[in-house]
Amino acid sequence: MDIAVDLRAIILVGGAPDDIPASEQFAGLPLALCDVLGKSVLHRAVESLQQQGIGSISIISESAAPVLNTAGRELRSTCSWTETVPAQLWRTAENTFGDLAQSGAEIVLVVRLGAYAEFDLEDLLQQHLASPHHVTCVVDEAGDPLDIALINASRRNEAAYLLRHRLRQARSCGGKYVFRGYHCRLRHVGELRGLALEGLLQRNRLRPDGEEVRPGIWIASHARITRGARIVAPAFIGERVKICASAVITRGSCLEHHTIVEPGTVIENSTLLPFTRVGSSLDFTHTVVSGSRVASLVRKVELDVPDPTLASSLVQHAPLRALTSALSLATFLPMGFLRGLFQRNRPPRPSELPAAAVVHSAALNPPALRAPVEGASSFSANMVVARRYGNQ
Amino acid sequence: METSKPVVVKHVPQRLSLKQARDFLFEIQPILSSDRPQLVFDCSQVLQIDAGGVETLLQCLAEVIKRDGDLKLAAVPASMSLILEMTRTERLFEIYETATDAVLSFSRFLPGSLRLHSVAPMPGSLHHGPAGGHFDQAA
Repeated sequence: MDIAVDLRAIILVGGAPDDIPASEQFAGLPLALCDVLGKSVLHRAVESLQQQGIGSISIISESAAPVLNTAGRELRSTCSWTETVPAQLWRTAENTFGDLAQSGAEIVLVVRLGAYAEFDLEDLLQQHLASPHHVTCVVDEAGDPLDIALINASRRNEAAYLLRHRLRQARSCGGKYVFRGYHCRLRHVGELRGLALEGLLQRNRLRPDGEEVRPGIWIASHARITRGARIVAPAFIGERVKICASAVITRGSCLEHHTIVEPGTVIENSTLLPFTRVGSSLDFTHTVVSGSRVASLVRKVELDVPDPTLASSLVQHAPLRALTSALSLATFLPMGFLRGLFQRNRPPRPSELPAAAVVHSAALNPPALRAPVEGASSFSANMVVARRYGNQ
Repeated sequence: METSKPVVVKHVPQRLSLKQARDFLFEIQPILSSDRPQLVFDCSQVLQIDAGGVETLLQCLAEVIKRDGDLKLAAVPASMSLILEMTRTERLFEIYETATDAVLSFSRFLPGSLRLHSVAPMPGSLHHGPAGGHFDQAA
């Protein structure tokens, strides 16, 4: 795509509308920073803008960046990242807009990641250039804003007014770009789960960040799947995930990077966010889990599980994680040794077996086995045989 | 069929972790060791439960069944219900909306008040039948 104008972008993470308290977050992390099929929504938005020709992208976030996987670390180096407190998010955006305008930008694209939208930047830009307005806001088919706007860089007051009103109100009559393509709002964790599922079903442009080893099963690098584990398509297994024996991953489940599924656990239609460990012989159905925080999408309830044997978060830094593993091994070995020393001995086997155990069963007597009963091979015509299945 | 045995309703404490569960078990031991105990655990106050708490509930159920009695749960909050589901123990208990329903269920059949274990369909209409395009991988 050839962009004749100097177009730059500001991406805002956070700044959720005040009318929905505690929305767009899960386990203290904005949904835009949560991983979906191996990459965060922010990561995918940046990638999409870069592919459409925008070189300069400024990210302003009200949360600290989470520990990233390999792809995330590579992308981080290509953008400028500013962390700010929630109250200063829009003010910082205003200042960044001023800086971009001063450094020669002609048009600035401002995106607040309250939704994932697969919009065509060229089409949006053409409409903006053709219209007499200085601001073009993107709305969905119902007319609800998607928090995406193109602003002429020379109109700083216009931009300041728009940013102070959280991209919802323009000073003068701004243009509207009705977007009819794929978009998914990220108001709560259920919508994040829906986005991941639609990506697995290839209903949007999200592609799992891994290799498709079987139809519908994507596995990223360094994932360890123990023999005996079962994965049913569609499913996504992220980077450095460990799935133990007899675990079942089914019905569109996504295990993001550095998650551990202990033996015998069933993950059904669920997402495990990065650095989550789930205990053994459990059922996670229609849930999103991040550390010890579990959200049930059916019951519409979120809770902190206090018991680390059920769900817990892993140490995020690799050296600390290695140290923790070494410590647990160092404590396990002496414990095992002591247990072996002081284990109660098995009861001694009696030297003489009871008479009933020594004597052969009467059923094994040769005449009973050899002599066929008259008519034993044929059944009567009115005999019915019913076989019981399952738990009947 | 009316039963002459009394039904004991017991409030489960707010926190049912390993220590509290042990105290709770000690408290109800006389009821559990009676003949054909009929017990209802009112869980409306429960805020937190862990694997130790679930194990205690199972222990109570086992003791009661051993003596030909029954144990039912009532007013189970959503958070506790989620833990029971995660630990695959929800299906072992009869769960009622209120303690009154649970008590009445000992003497009559109350199908409407029994909380059924619902399974929601998957979003995106991925509700395959037995031959619905799943692909298994034995890794």
